[in-house]
Amino acid sequence: MRHFTKLFIVIIAMIFTSSYVDAQDFKISGTILDSETREPLIGATIIEKGTTNGTVTDLDGNYQLMVSGSEAVLVFTYVGYKSREIRVNNQSVINTSLDIDFSELEEVVVVGYGSVRKSDLTGAVASVKGEDLLKVPNASPVQALQGKVSGLQVLSPSGDPGATPVVRLRGVTTLNNNNPLFVVDGVIIEKGVSDNSGSGTPLDFLNANDIESVEVLKDASATAIFGSRGSNGVIIITTKRGVQGAPRINFSAELGWQRVANKIDLMNGQEFGQYVNDIDLTEPGPYNVDQLPTTDWQDEIYNDYAPIQSYSFSFGGANEKVDYYFGLGYFGQEGILPKSGLERITTKINTNYEIAKNLDIGLSLSVALKEKQNSPGVVNTALRAWPIDAPYTTDPVTGEQIFAEVQGGGNALAAIEYTNNVNKSIESVGNVFAQYAFLDGFSVKSSLQFSLGMSKNKSFTPEYFVAPLQQNETSDISQEYNDNSFILWENTISYVKEIGVHRFNTVAGYTTQRVKSEFLSGSAQNLLRDGESFWYIDASDGDPLLQDVSNNASHSAIQSYLFRFNYSLMDKYLFTATYRRDGSSKFGPNNRYGVFPSLALGWNLSEEAFFPDVSFLGNMKLRASWGIVGNDKISYDAQFPQIDQDFGAVFGQNEQYVSGAAYATGGNPNLKWEETVQFDVGLNFDMFSGRLVSEMDYYVKTTNDILVNLEPIGYSGLGAFQQIVYNVASVENKGFEFSLNWQDDIGNFNYKLGFLGSTVKNTVLELGQDIGVDSLIVAGDLGNGQQVSRTAVGQPIGFFYGYDAIGVFQTQQQVDATPHLFGQTVGDLIYRDANEDGILDGDDRIMLGNSIPGLVYGFNTEVGYKGFRVGLDFQGQTGVDIYNGKQAVRFSLLNYETRFLDHWTPSNPSNENFRAVSGGTNYTPSNYFIEDGSYLRLRTVTLSYNFQQAVLNSVGAQSLKVYVRGTNLFTKTQFSGYSPDLGASSALDGVIDKGVYPITKVYSVGLNLTF
Amino acid sequence: MKSLKYTFISLVFFFSACEENLEKPLLGSLTAGTFPQSESDAVLAVNGVYNSLRVWNIHTGGFPLLDIMSDQMTKGSNPGDGTAIAPYDNFSHTATEGSGDRWYKTLYQAIRRANLVINEVPNAAIVMDEDLRARIVAEARFLRGYFYSQLVQGFGAVPLVLVTDPALDLGKTSAEEIFNQVIYPDLLHAAEFLPEKSEYSADEAGRATKGAAKALLARLYLFNGDFVNAEKYALEVIASAQYELEPNFADAFSHDHEFGVESVFEIGALPFPFDQGGNQYGNTMGIRGTPNRGWGFGRPAYPWIVMMQTNNDPRMEASIIFLGEVLDGVETGGDASTPDTTRVDGDIVEIEVYNQKIWHPGPGTNESFGHNKRIIRYADVLLMAAEALNENNKPAEALEYLNEVRERARGGNAGILPDVTVTDQAALRLAIENERNYELAFEGLRFWDLVRTNRAETILGPLGFVKNKNELFPIPQSEVDISEGRISQNEGY
Repeated sequence: MRHFTKLFIVIIAMIFTSSYVDAQDFKISGTILDSETREPLIGATIIEKGTTNGTVTDLDGNYQLMVSGSEAVLVFTYVGYKSREIRVNNQSVINTSLDIDFSELEEVVVVGYGSVRKSDLTGAVASVKGEDLLKVPNASPVQALQGKVSGLQVLSPSGDPGATPVVRLRGVTTLNNNNPLFVVDGVIIEKGVSDNSGSGTPLDFLNANDIESVEVLKDASATAIFGSRGSNGVIIITTKRGVQGAPRINFSAELGWQRVANKIDLMNGQEFGQYVNDIDLTEPGPYNVDQLPTTDWQDEIYNDYAPIQSYSFSFGGANEKVDYYFGLGYFGQEGILPKSGLERITTKINTNYEIAKNLDIGLSLSVALKEKQNSPGVVNTALRAWPIDAPYTTDPVTGEQIFAEVQGGGNALAAIEYTNNVNKSIESVGNVFAQYAFLDGFSVKSSLQFSLGMSKNKSFTPEYFVAPLQQNETSDISQEYNDNSFILWENTISYVKEIGVHRFNTVAGYTTQRVKSEFLSGSAQNLLRDGESFWYIDASDGDPLLQDVSNNASHSAIQSYLFRFNYSLMDKYLFTATYRRDGSSKFGPNNRYGVFPSLALGWNLSEEAFFPDVSFLGNMKLRASWGIVGNDKISYDAQFPQIDQDFGAVFGQNEQYVSGAAYATGGNPNLKWEETVQFDVGLNFDMFSGRLVSEMDYYVKTTNDILVNLEPIGYSGLGAFQQIVYNVASVENKGFEFSLNWQDDIGNFNYKLGFLGSTVKNTVLELGQDIGVDSLIVAGDLGNGQQVSRTAVGQPIGFFYGYDAIGVFQTQQQVDATPHLFGQTVGDLIYRDANEDGILDGDDRIMLGNSIPGLVYGFNTEVGYKGFRVGLDFQGQTGVDIYNGKQAVRFSLLNYETRFLDHWTPSNPSNENFRAVSGGTNYTPSNYFIEDGSYLRLRTVTLSYNFQQAVLNSVGAQSLKVYVRGTNLFTKTQFSGYSPDLGASSALDGVIDKGVYPITKVYSVGLNLTF
Repeated sequence: MKSLKYTFISLVFFFSACEENLEKPLLGSLTAGTFPQSESDAVLAVNGVYNSLRVWNIHTGGFPLLDIMSDQMTKGSNPGDGTAIAPYDNFSHTATEGSGDRWYKTLYQAIRRANLVINEVPNAAIVMDEDLRARIVAEARFLRGYFYSQLVQGFGAVPLVLVTDPALDLGKTSAEEIFNQVIYPDLLHAAEFLPEKSEYSADEAGRATKGAAKALLARLYLFNGDFVNAEKYALEVIASAQYELEPNFADAFSHDHEFGVESVFEIGALPFPFDQGGNQYGNTMGIRGTPNRGWGFGRPAYPWIVMMQTNNDPRMEASIIFLGEVLDGVETGGDASTPDTTRVDGDIVEIEVYNQKIWHPGPGTNESFGHNKRIIRYADVLLMAAEALNENNKPAEALEYLNEVRERARGGNAGILPDVTVTDQAALRLAIENERNYELAFEGLRFWDLVRTNRAETILGPLGFVKNKNELFPIPQSEVDISEGRISQNEGY
């Protein structure tokens, strides 16, 4: 590390001391207007052609610029407008106007290690504007990407404040970590910044108000420059910078209220009593059903109208030498479950200084403080609780109200009361850089990037007794401290130049990165008092047998060479090649380096002479790309077979624990990179003067050498459930993506319509055959030992597997005449003898469903009239199955979903729902528990009003918008759980609803004020 | 331009300086291949083998399957819980059942740990006390012999692994060969080099002893019908004068008498989670509900209770926890959603009761993790001696050992459990079998007793036992699949 920092300082110093000549001696000023409306264009760019010398217009469209001489050429550009070049010719005032470019083809798109003109882009890249990220009230800006980018699926497995969404781009690429790579202002973010587990979605430190734009890199041409980390796609986030002109102050506030989106239909007390009577147990029951009370446990635990609030303040501006942006945000969300709230403060500084001619230095820094109450896991407790049991009772001795014993899994309110679990973290992500432009079109850039995160988790449970199955015999405290650091040094040289009809955009670089995580945790029991001031290990009784401490760390390093060459000929023919070579410490010396190339071609058909010159056709571009991208998201220690020291034995007349050591996890020193080969063809076009803009892509992605945990042969002695990582599997994803956007005006009305969708077909091609491992992956544990998901060759990852339930036995004769499982009787499910061998056994289990949706889609519309605007965002998916795991697990007699009201009885010969039971063979994994996860959701509906300029001028404001919004107001689905919008954190499990923190409906009001 | 040149040179320097940074060693753990290297390592390594005895899955995949498969127990727990182990209760289990798979793999895991000690600790490069070295190797060989005997009794012919990283193309080795090549030599070595129980310090109680090795030899010779050797080793244990019966039957497995006079080999455990010394074996069988001591798997069978009642055998009270019974001041309420009594056509077939032999006193749920499972008790040694002597036509001596066990069971009550006096070989054989049923119930022995004496079909047939099939567990299906059939499935599965 030491020489690393030292060299950085040396280089910066050398760059700083370089000399330059000041040649700016000719002053130009003027005003830039929209050619049609004659309104001033604010923030338009004026650049002296062939230099980096330039400025932007102020609030009135005015600019001033010193140029090198009277022969200079000025290039006027503005996003969404066609650029214009004007020769100075001794004029000192140049006023001009720009024409709207409906195709927006001159837009610049941020890609890895630079940006390219959108018209020159050969890869599949989707852009989302920052303002679109503000529509969903959530701590993570990622949530708002749902339904915004074709091929991108953002799922919310939980409504817990701050919960990690599951993000999948173009299907499920690998059997392990499928999270895309996030890049924030050039800083690579691979996992939650303060999160040791490596699973979190890593953008919690960002306030969506500070985000300028998001680009989603989908094909290999775009992602291969990220080499070993790009195979799941790359999401690049660019935060706001100060813009030229007077300082701009923005304040926004939003208040929302959340409710559970829909409750699960459970039996009430009388229904439950009747069902239990129908089971015909000797105990409990029989009940006198009419007299039974009802407790609605969902009503007991969920708060109505839990508040959510968000305030942001930002301040930014720029002049010729400096630009600056400061952002400050507060986000606070109470969960609908008590003790699950999240509070966060975010700060943001983006600044750039031109400290000498052609030499810029800059800083981009985010710091976030978070405090999250880890919610007690009581959702299932409430769903299972007997509705005839009341939450409180009277203590027979003291006469006080106390928690009552609740059968079926415990008293959820007591569980909430006695849970105290808080996670606090500080996350800092930054990028310090220096950039020097030289010769004509060259620049070198050196940046030091870091993400540092620290978190501490404290959990305290007092001593309590509610019931024999719900008690804590001694109070206990546990503490955990995590410390994560990621440091990357990146050096690039780029060449951007236009020579006649040739345009070059090239970058080459070297990066080196170190990552380290360490944790320290401790726990103790028997605290002196229950009060919060005693929630420290020193307050425990000090019994060494009841204390535990643990500490370990992980580390890894990557070094990389990268190169990209982008060439455009006559604006027609486009060519991109990228190359990256990565070396990673996660792999043994034999396979340490991986090479990731890509090639792409683009053809702007509409620039050709033969392109039909009809007025309704606009631009059209064909694209094709091929490339290899890698994935190294495995644990740093997967290569090492380990010996651990925590395998002790107990010896002695006065029994003592004595340390022992033995083989722990197995390792594989021959591990190498996963490689995803991706082929993509795409078409972009616009029609009707840019009113219709469309993009479509077809892709085939094949991932080989997938790193997968498999159980080796049993006699190798690794033990039960022990797995080793192998490069064995191969998975193919192919699909079609499209987006269509229409926008137009009718008089004072303007409106937009957008529709996007993507299909995916996922197939496992290979899975460790012939290398001495179990080539079938069984996963999807329901929590009771039953596993419902499998991964096998020829099928999608994580498909559901079990019996095919085809009806209910009506008579004993039918049972006797039909192959059935041991103990099955009248009223039980009939499972199909799938292999027709006359015996019902494990061999009759078949594939029952697939949890990778066939089609994911979204559509949105916006209508504006004067200051008013209404926007609706819909999204949905079809062709996806969900296993209702919470319904399929019966540890003991639990409450039932209302589906079972219509159960088989001799007088109600249902052929669908089996007889009343408390458990048993009817709960064997089968498609009885599989539900259709298709849905269509009204994600957000927003009504906003922008105040007129005249009103604003009187208070000196530039803009003021007020709005009301509803989120998740309406979902059309057959699925019976809280939300079909569930993701599997591991693709191998498929999507199983094990009882999740419910998704909420949110009603919000907000305002956005700019000075 | 000059700065560019320096930048370039610096970068080149930096690149080359960084190459070796991609070596990131394992943190906080040893890498296999670098252990053991010292005397303390050797002790750690052998303790790691003992650790396997507490791994939950080493007990037939976590559940008392051998007892459930016998006529002494049923599945237990709530009817809806643990349905995955229900097939073992009626012998409908298949090769894909998880418990058998876990048991098989955990036994090989234990064998691998033992192989590490046996192969590496003799290495002269490890400088250590030679007596300790010999003892550690003998301990590991005792344990390997024990684990292999479980494996062979459970699965029959299996791959023979004597190294820590075996070849991937192994096939099966016959049970007989494994007994002759590994199990008997290991245990004979252990019997020669291990200290007697009394030769260990009090702190070392629980380590393998000469007596344990000999008692295990007796058990395995009996299993294989070698009555001469069975007699020899059982009598050597008796003659060693290291052991005697606890005066009170209940103390043979009580908490207060852990590592007591009757204990030949037992697994030390503390009332904490596994990684702090706990053994989940007791928790798996512990009372479900009130007091919450576990999951309640392995429920003493109703016919066994009736039989013991009919015999007026006081060992029943010490073996069974009935609902309402008060133990160490705690009243047993049981599980609310488990039927107290299960009837079929009006006849009782099952009542909610629990195994008292794993009871561990104390206030909390963790207590049941503190139960020391007895692998070999002196009562078993006496009954093994009696059985071998009877088979070797020495009924008088056999009766002496059999009646020693009965006398203790009588607890001074002269009106019950009279001495056995028959000397007819077949009648005495049955008397000994019965005595083992009363004395050693729920200790994982009954099923093997019935298999080795060819009585399984008679006794267990009504419960679903199929002769020439259910004597063995199926080889885990994954093992057959991965080996592409080199490791073939056992007959009948």
